[in-house]
Amino acid sequence: METTEKSLRRTLDRLFVPLTVGPTLIWIAAIIVYPTVRLLWSSLFWMNPLTRETEFVGLRNFKRLLLDPSGTLGVLNPSFIAFTKNTIIYVGCSVTFSFLLGLGIALLLNKDLKGRGWFRTAVIVPWILPYVMSGLMWRWMFEAKNGAINGLLVQTGLISEKIAFLSDGTLAMMTLIIADIWVFTPFIVIILLAGLQNVPEQLYDAAEVDGASRWSRFRNVTYPFLKPSILVALTIRIIFDIRALDLVWVMTKGGPGKSTEVWASWLYRTSMEFQRTGEGAALGVIMLAVTFAIVAILYSIFGGTPYDS
Amino acid sequence: MSTKDSRFNRVAARVGLNTDDVWPSVVRERLLAYGLLLLYVIVIWFPIYYIFITSLKTQSEVLTIPITFVPQEPTAQNYIDIFRNRPFEAYTINSLIVASTTTVICVTLGTMTGYTFSRHNFLGNKALLLSIVAARMIPPIALIVPFFQIMSSPPLIGGLTGNLTDTRVALILTYTFFNLPFAVWIMKNYFDGVPRSLDEQAKVDGCSTWEAFVKIVLPVAKPGIAATAILAFIFSWNEFIFALVLTRSEASQTLPIAVSLFVADDFVDWSHLAAGGMIAALPGILFGLFFQRYIVSGLTQGAVKE
Repeated sequence: METTEKSLRRTLDRLFVPLTVGPTLIWIAAIIVYPTVRLLWSSLFWMNPLTRETEFVGLRNFKRLLLDPSGTLGVLNPSFIAFTKNTIIYVGCSVTFSFLLGLGIALLLNKDLKGRGWFRTAVIVPWILPYVMSGLMWRWMFEAKNGAINGLLVQTGLISEKIAFLSDGTLAMMTLIIADIWVFTPFIVIILLAGLQNVPEQLYDAAEVDGASRWSRFRNVTYPFLKPSILVALTIRIIFDIRALDLVWVMTKGGPGKSTEVWASWLYRTSMEFQRTGEGAALGVIMLAVTFAIVAILYSIFGGTPYDS
Repeated sequence: MSTKDSRFNRVAARVGLNTDDVWPSVVRERLLAYGLLLLYVIVIWFPIYYIFITSLKTQSEVLTIPITFVPQEPTAQNYIDIFRNRPFEAYTINSLIVASTTTVICVTLGTMTGYTFSRHNFLGNKALLLSIVAARMIPPIALIVPFFQIMSSPPLIGGLTGNLTDTRVALILTYTFFNLPFAVWIMKNYFDGVPRSLDEQAKVDGCSTWEAFVKIVLPVAKPGIAATAILAFIFSWNEFIFALVLTRSEASQTLPIAVSLFVADDFVDWSHLAAGGMIAALPGILFGLFFQRYIVSGLTQGAVKE
């Protein structure tokens, strides 16, 4: 008895690595690798939505998305240009503003204040709420007739006419960006706050003694230590915003017209509403490539550690 | 840091206040920081407050002009309505089952694998870890087509399960896609911070590798496990896109979908939507208030570089 138990224990120990890593790898292969391969595969096929028959079409899906329907060589598809522009505006503005705001709040929270924990909790909550609820909440805030924003502006006498925020392309984009900033600033705050903990106190004191200005202290003491966190925060924010459909879908559905249609909503519409799964998959492949390219670019800009020698 | 020429002092001087000796610069900086933070918190909490009071208003008050910022006759009727007239009980149960099952799967696998990545050098571990990190960069939305196809007719297991769309199983499987790589990564980083001498001492004392892991290291890793579990739960609870693609009926629809169903093309039932939204937001708010520390540490662990 004793020996069998011992040998069993030894066998189990020898199998420790395969037993702890194996299930996860199989799971990841099934749920991540396989769908990704299937995505690449689907992007080369056309599927008849009615009969579900597929036909190999090579790169035709990509051509349809990227190039002008008339087939003129070298002319891009106008929809592609428009939606790409919307995506860049949406991601660019959201990330820039939420980053600056988040940096400011993180610097304030990094001070040795009483009640800091309470403030931190209050600042973080927006990020934990379901995006759908946040999106609909902002849609309600900006509602033309009964929305709180119009109510505040009119009832305090700042404007005389209520503004139909969500019926105007530019304003609708603005409301989307505001909602996005509201949702994601906490994330930036958390990441940067963690980075600020790495700055050695003595350096601050030394800079203070030297009489360095506030800006020069930030530039020469804080920034070098914060760089890795900035890289992480920006990377994650950008790649998350490119893929984010929740807010757009519940706030504007890409409207009015197509003025807030971004890649994510375009992909969803193409795949699910129009059932053009091949083109949807092709758009997914483009998104995947762009995401990895952006990560590579960011790492080449910000890569490296503080005071790299 | 000269205080003489600070803007505050210039303004103070202009209105005839001499603050130099009363307010040392440190105190002034603090007051300013408090003021700014307080302003920020009020601004970001206003929409939450507004949707909350909307959920307590009667339908007629929601549509009255001028708008009221304090409900005139607060009522719980909207909450009663959504549970009585809509299958909100089913939605809540679906959300709970999907989020907790996903959490259990991801925490179990993530803890085991994270530990091994942290402690053992095995063939190809660097490459595997790198691919797990890379997996987190794949935009989930890019995969709605393959996931929809896979869940409609699952390969290998299809004979047993049949069509998985509109089942909770489909959502659970899909949600592990976001959360499992994240869980492995957080736990690996967490175990890296647990001293190796702990397991080594346990083995010297006659523990097997498994015993050292389960009895000695796991209890120490509780905070990391809690952080992973809370984040996986929140991410699954809040997920919307795949639920939109993979669910059809109350058999599997979760709360985020339920909330979006209040939006019709030309009319939105705001007071009931607000009540549904508050139900959907409840776990997040509670977690945020009570487990903020774990959320922060989990996110930070999940984001740090080597």
